[in-house]
Amino acid sequence: MKKNNLYFLLNISIIMLIIIFIIIANKKFDSYVIRILNLCAIYIILGVSLNLINGFTGQFSLGHAGFMAIGAYVSALLYMSPELKEENFFITPLIWPLSVIQIPFVFSLIIAGLVSAGVGFLVGVPCLRLKGDYLAIVTFGFSEIIRVIFNNLQNVTNGPIGLKGLPIYTNLWWSFGIAILTVLVVKNLINSSYGRALKSIRENETAAEAVGVNLFFHKSLAFAIGAFFAGLGGALLGSFIMTIDPNIFSFLLTFQLIVIVVVGGLGSITGTVISAIIITVLMEVLRSVEAPMNIFGLHLPGIPGMRMLVFAILLMAVILFFKKGLMGKKEWFWDGLFKKCFPSKER
Amino acid sequence: MSVLKADNITMQFGGLAAVSNFFVELKEGELVGLIGPNGAGKTTIFNMLTGTYKPTKGKIYFYNKEINGKGVDRITSLGIARTFQNIRLFSDLSVLDNVKVGAHVHIKSSVWKAIVHWPSYLYEEENIHEQAINLLKIVHLENLKDHLAGSLPYGEQRRLEIARALATSPKLLLLDEPVAGMNPQESKDLMKFIQEIQDKFKLTIILIEHDMKVVMGICKRILVLDYGKTIAEGNPTEIQNNPEVIKAYLGVEATSYA
Repeated sequence: MKKNNLYFLLNISIIMLIIIFIIIANKKFDSYVIRILNLCAIYIILGVSLNLINGFTGQFSLGHAGFMAIGAYVSALLYMSPELKEENFFITPLIWPLSVIQIPFVFSLIIAGLVSAGVGFLVGVPCLRLKGDYLAIVTFGFSEIIRVIFNNLQNVTNGPIGLKGLPIYTNLWWSFGIAILTVLVVKNLINSSYGRALKSIRENETAAEAVGVNLFFHKSLAFAIGAFFAGLGGALLGSFIMTIDPNIFSFLLTFQLIVIVVVGGLGSITGTVISAIIITVLMEVLRSVEAPMNIFGLHLPGIPGMRMLVFAILLMAVILFFKKGLMGKKEWFWDGLFKKCFPSKER
Repeated sequence: MSVLKADNITMQFGGLAAVSNFFVELKEGELVGLIGPNGAGKTTIFNMLTGTYKPTKGKIYFYNKEINGKGVDRITSLGIARTFQNIRLFSDLSVLDNVKVGAHVHIKSSVWKAIVHWPSYLYEEENIHEQAINLLKIVHLENLKDHLAGSLPYGEQRRLEIARALATSPKLLLLDEPVAGMNPQESKDLMKFIQEIQDKFKLTIILIEHDMKVVMGICKRILVLDYGKTIAEGNPTEIQNNPEVIKAYLGVEATSYA
């Protein structure tokens, strides 16, 4: 038990360090760096929640963009002021109760998460009979259906025009706060008895059922919790980029998240956090290769899209050298760290 | 007291009757062997008893309560546990976690309490941990508890699967070919082990096995199945001398030599 107390203190001190870091970042860093930091945190939220479904429960889902879309729209429609809504919905007016409501950002976040979790549960139920590729196809279909519905539901979502000029509520406190919350909740869930049941479903469904794991309950649990945090992530993203339209939440976004999860390691929270940060930062850093440059007296004009090429090569390298992602299924919490640092103290 | 009663259960796959009118009644503490040539329907019977298949005809009673059509996890929670013919462990989980998953079926705390580490959940978790360690001691795997289940040698995987089944605190244990692929010494050890756990946990056991030494050695009662029908029932000596059984196993010609 002593060890657990030590780990608890270390966890607290890490959170304190992050808080201090945010205070310094807010004062010293320019808005460009802060923007990247925000994106890192949002991708951590989305990656970890996707990993709960794909990595830990082993249900290969491609529906994350759909959950994010729901979260983004639900929250935006709740925290936008009535005047802003009127400005936005100039073709078809917004339906009645929504057009006059305005609630604080916190509550809109919670409701966005809950609605998304509810939809996640509903998606989870019919998907319970499907496995592997078939599940991937159905969940992909779900996220496309959400996109098409949002494109056509003029009087609720404003259709393809989208919502513009959203107030910026997302800041480092919100994004990192929710990222920490996500990591803590998923970590505690995974290390609990319920988490072991989720992993047992990934390992062998037949055996899991035979030792009394209720497949229906546990799969929909994973979908609901994953969708909840995807909803929160979507809401934060919406208020962060200030404008949302249904086509942001296309398959490409899900694909980006899948890349984060796979590179980090399916079934590793620490891996997802690390790869979310690396990939978000790389996407920005690699912009430099698109600029015109001189190599050995050779003038290269800037090639737009070059960054994706370099990115793809890096990805291939990762997949070649780390077949199970950077971390595999391992975690890098204090236990492992101590064993690495003080191998003599073992036994 | 009757632990399990299968009242003329039939399993029909299309035109094929995998099992027809199978009847068995088990008393508390019995160890019954279920034998028969390949494809006789032994595993199908296990699948019906555990709820994987719903019998096309007939009823199954567990402690006089009907369990037909209940879900697999529900039946496990009532107290029927099984092992598989081809080992199905959670290979990427540790040995200890494999056993702990078995204890999950009796958890009372909700998910939310588990996530926030509510005291009542932590207490339960502690109990699960102790129970799992105890079970691992019984199957002599406690020094391997942090290894991945998939990395264990074959015989130990078998024992681990039994430990995992025991973690669900069953009253009836269904063992599907527990000594398949073991050498004579290993299977002898496992026989002893099965009898030990039966005494210790007051279990009723049904055993599917091809190894006649094992079956004749530890089962007091044996059922012989062929083409989905029970062709003989009795104690080991009766079974050994039953002409029907010899015919099913060795063919008609061989009867004259037997």
